[in-house]
Amino acid sequence: MSGGRAATGRWELAAAWAFVLGTGTAAWALAAAALPLPAYYLPPPTAVLGALAELVVKGILPLYVAESLRRILLAALVALGVGVPLGLLLGMSRRLADFAYPLLNFFQSVSGIAWLPLMLVWFGFGERTILVAVNYTVFFPVIFNAMLGVRSVPRLYVDALRTLGASRGRIVRDVLVPGALPAIATGMRLGLAYGWRALIAAEMLVGAHGLGFMIFSAQAFHLTARIMLGMGIIGLLWVVLDYVLLRPLEEATIARWGLVQR
Amino acid sequence: MAKIALQGLAHEYVNPFTRERVRALEDVTLEVDEGEFLTVVGPSGCGKTTLLNILAGLLQPTRGTVLVDGRPVRGPGRDRGVVFQEFAILPWRTVERNIAHGLEIQGVPRAERAAIVRRFVALVGLEGFERKYPHELSGGMKQRVAVARTLAADPAVMLMDEPFASVDAQTRITLQEELNAIARATRKTILFVTHNVEEAVFLGDRCCVLSRRPGRVKALVPVPIPRERRTWRLLTADPTFAATRDLVLRLVREEVGGEDGAR
Repeated sequence: MSGGRAATGRWELAAAWAFVLGTGTAAWALAAAALPLPAYYLPPPTAVLGALAELVVKGILPLYVAESLRRILLAALVALGVGVPLGLLLGMSRRLADFAYPLLNFFQSVSGIAWLPLMLVWFGFGERTILVAVNYTVFFPVIFNAMLGVRSVPRLYVDALRTLGASRGRIVRDVLVPGALPAIATGMRLGLAYGWRALIAAEMLVGAHGLGFMIFSAQAFHLTARIMLGMGIIGLLWVVLDYVLLRPLEEATIARWGLVQR
Repeated sequence: MAKIALQGLAHEYVNPFTRERVRALEDVTLEVDEGEFLTVVGPSGCGKTTLLNILAGLLQPTRGTVLVDGRPVRGPGRDRGVVFQEFAILPWRTVERNIAHGLEIQGVPRAERAAIVRRFVALVGLEGFERKYPHELSGGMKQRVAVARTLAADPAVMLMDEPFASVDAQTRITLQEELNAIARATRKTILFVTHNVEEAVFLGDRCCVLSRRPGRVKALVPVPIPRERRTWRLLTADPTFAATRDLVLRLVREEVGGEDGAR
């Protein structure tokens, strides 16, 4: 079996990462020490670690991380509970799908960020605007992909079930929904990735807790180490979310069925 | 009463790309008896698949009537099981759950379902693969699953659309012999469409030759060889088989007007 080879591959990968991170950090530390710049321009790695310790001790960082995570997870639940069923429904009717396609395409391209000025007028400088902007951003890729997923299910599978005497509801349950799952997973992954970025941007503009607020407000006091720390955490959190939440979901279903090749 | 009766069947459609009117079938009249294995051959594009889809109820004919057990066909139904050319089993169901699908739809209780599935898994020789997913199977095994799924649902007639066309030659020979054994054991009424003349003569009680488009019944050729004698080892030396095959081959070739398509 390939288990041994996969394990070796994992160690090689870890070593490569350690090497890149190590040399990168070393080069950064060296540059920060050697370049004739004011300290706040390029703080050394130790200053970022210091900012981390300080913000954890004060309880600010855990609070902001929790705030940002709460907002993106809420958007994920709404997308799963409302966006996916809506997309499936649209995909089942050719006429509905033809009608919805340009609309969805339009709203998907006018990003949640572009809506922010209007949303600030409508919903004010607060939690509501952030939530609307993030949910909006996550929603459209999710609907869009669920719809395309249903439409990509081979007609043959539907015909095969009809000849077995299946009802419409049975075809939806046994063929269309499972057949659309790979596209639904793609939509969720894409939507949440877009949504995470929109969330940070909205938090920067609206300014009510969260990681976006943290890095934006730090700029006023030249707290560069805090900004870099926040950026690092934004990226790292997404990598972890994707790894522990979205990929296992994909592996448990569609990879097992051989619908995606790895 | 005939199991399947086609009367004056015609089908026309508009090709969506060329906007041309295509007459696929014209005045097909044909009867299939209870327990009979009828094979349908003809040059490519003669409307064989159209004929089968009309029987399955997936396609509405332009004119004519289709009766199965004396009742007109109005849509797909579980009295007519279909095995498609491409592998139409669901990739997200295991072998046993694919085979059980028709029974699930019919509401057969779980325990009974399991017993029936076990029987058909054995019939098509898939023991040990019950928990595998289709992507872990070869083409021939996938098609065995499709055949077992159709048989397990116990349809009155079985419609097969070039089911062995997309497997390799060696597997095809095995599947043909297995299908012969299944036909012998179950006495199902089977309508089997193919472009392969040898296959049509090997499997059919009668072989229906369709003309080139628009398809009509050109000839009905009986194959007077008992099922128990039908293995490739015996038939390659059988003069009746050779004579029937050559006759059908000639009939098909007249329609092609050339060398190709007459294998």
